[in-house]
Amino acid sequence: MPLTFIRKQDKAIVLWLKDFILTMQEFFLFSVRAFIAIPKIKRYWRDVLDQATICGTDSIPIVLVSAISIGSLLAIEVGNLLEDFGAKTMLGRSTSLSVIRELGPLLMGLMLSARYGSRNGAELGAMQISEQIDALRAFGTDPVAKLVMPRLVASLIMFLPLTALSDFAGLHSAAYLAEHYHRLDPGIFWNAVYPRLAPKDFVVGFLKAPVFAIIITLVSSFNGFSARGGTAGVGRSTIKGIVVSSGLVLIANFYVSKIVLENM
Amino acid sequence: MIELRNVSLKYGEKEILKNVSLTVRDNTIKAILGPSGVGKSTILKLMLGLIKPNSGQVIIDGTDITNMKESSLYSIRRKMGMVFQGNALFDSLTINQNLGFFLRENMNLPEAEVNKRVAEQIQFAGLEGYEDQLPESLSGGMRRRVAIGRALIFKPHMILFDEPTAGLDPVSSKKILSLISSLRHNNNLGAVIVTHIIDDVFNVADCVAVLYQGEIIFDDVTEKLHQAQHPFIRSILSDNILEL
Repeated sequence: MPLTFIRKQDKAIVLWLKDFILTMQEFFLFSVRAFIAIPKIKRYWRDVLDQATICGTDSIPIVLVSAISIGSLLAIEVGNLLEDFGAKTMLGRSTSLSVIRELGPLLMGLMLSARYGSRNGAELGAMQISEQIDALRAFGTDPVAKLVMPRLVASLIMFLPLTALSDFAGLHSAAYLAEHYHRLDPGIFWNAVYPRLAPKDFVVGFLKAPVFAIIITLVSSFNGFSARGGTAGVGRSTIKGIVVSSGLVLIANFYVSKIVLENM
Repeated sequence: MIELRNVSLKYGEKEILKNVSLTVRDNTIKAILGPSGVGKSTILKLMLGLIKPNSGQVIIDGTDITNMKESSLYSIRRKMGMVFQGNALFDSLTINQNLGFFLRENMNLPEAEVNKRVAEQIQFAGLEGYEDQLPESLSGGMRRRVAIGRALIFKPHMILFDEPTAGLDPVSSKKILSLISSLRHNNNLGAVIVTHIIDDVFNVADCVAVLYQGEIIFDDVTEKLHQAQHPFIRSILSDNILEL
C-alpha cells in the first residue's frame, strides 16, 4: 500500500514536471515570436499607440497614487527613525535612494502588473475563448504580431516615463512631508538628494522599467492566449498572469539591483 | 480540393481521430455528420492548419500543409473562409469594421475597393442599416450572416462552416441554409459543413461523411446515406432522430 502511494506520487510529480517544462518551452517560443514581430511595428503603429494610451497615459493616476503614498510614508517613517539618531538632515538622501532605486520602480511594476497585466489577461483570454484568436489565424493574421507585439513595444516605451514620473512624485511628496511634518528646510532636503545621487542609482531604477515591461506583458499575454474552459478559464488565466508576473517582478527587482550595484 | 490522408490525432491520452481519410472536391458541399464532441470541429481546424495531426497528411490544392510553418500557412488559409460556431466576430468592432477587418489587415487593397466589398457583403447578408452596430446588438442569425460575409469577403474557393445552424431558431436556420446553398449556385463555391443536425445534411449537402468514435464510418453522396448498413447510421435514420 505505501509503495503504491509513493509510485502514484512519483507519477504525479513526473507529470507535473513534464507539464511545467512544456509550458516553459511554449512561453519561450511565444516570447521569441513577440520579439521577432517587432520589425512589423510600422504595420501595427495604430495598435501600438492604442496600447501606449492604455498602459501609459491611463496608468498615470495609479502610478501617482502609489508613488505619492510611498514617498510620504518613507519621509514620515525614515524621518522619525533618523530623528532618534539626530540625523534628520539625511532624510533626503535615504528617501531618494529608496524611491529611485527600489520602491518607485517596484511599486510601479506591481501596480502595472495588476492594472495592465489583468487587462491583457482578461482581454486576450476572452478573445481566446470566443475563438477570435483562432479567427485571426484562420484569416491569415499572426495573432502574436497583431495583439502581443504592440503591447510589448508600448510597455517598453511607456514604462520609462512612468518610472520617471513615479520617482518625481515620490521624491516631491517626501520633500513636502519633510518640510511640513518634520519641519526640515527644503534646501537641506534637496541638498541631500541631488549631489549625492550617483549614475548607478538611476541605472538601477530605470533598468527595471524595461525588465518589468517585458515580464508583465509577456506573462499576462501568454496566460490570456492559454485560457481554456469558458469564463471561469478566463478568470483563472488572468489571476495566474497577475500572480506570476508580480512574483517575477519582485524577483527581477532584487536581481537587477544586485547585478547593477555589484558591477558599477 | 481538401484532402485528409490517414489523419490521427490525440489530445493527451484521448484519441480524437483514428486514421481519418477524407476528400472535399471543389464546387461541392460536403457535410461531416457526427454526435457532439466527436471531433468534427477538430477536422476543420486541421484543414486550416490551426492544429497539427499526430500522424497523416493534410493536403490543400495539392500542397501538403501538415508540417508547414505558421507564416507559410497564412496564404493557404486565405483560400478558405471559416465560419466559427460562435461566429468569432470582434466584439469591439462594428459590423462594417468586422467585415473589412481582414481586407485592411492582409490585403493591399485601396480603401474604395474594401468599402465596395464590404457593401456587397452587407447586401448579400441582408444587413443594410446595421453597418455601424456592434455584433452584440444583433440577433444570433444576423451575427451568423455577418460571420459568413466575413468569410466570403476574401473571395475564397471553399468555405468551412462549424455548426452553421446550431443555436438558431428554425426561421434563421432556414435562412442560413438557403444562404449556403446559394453560395454554390451563385458563387461556384465549395463548402464543408460540420453538423450534428441530420436535417441540415439532407437540405444542403451533396455528400456526407459520418464520424463516429473517431472514425469515418460512411463517406458517399447524401442520397446513399439511407442505404448505409452501419448500426449507428441505421439507428439514427430508423429512429428518425433529427438531431444527434
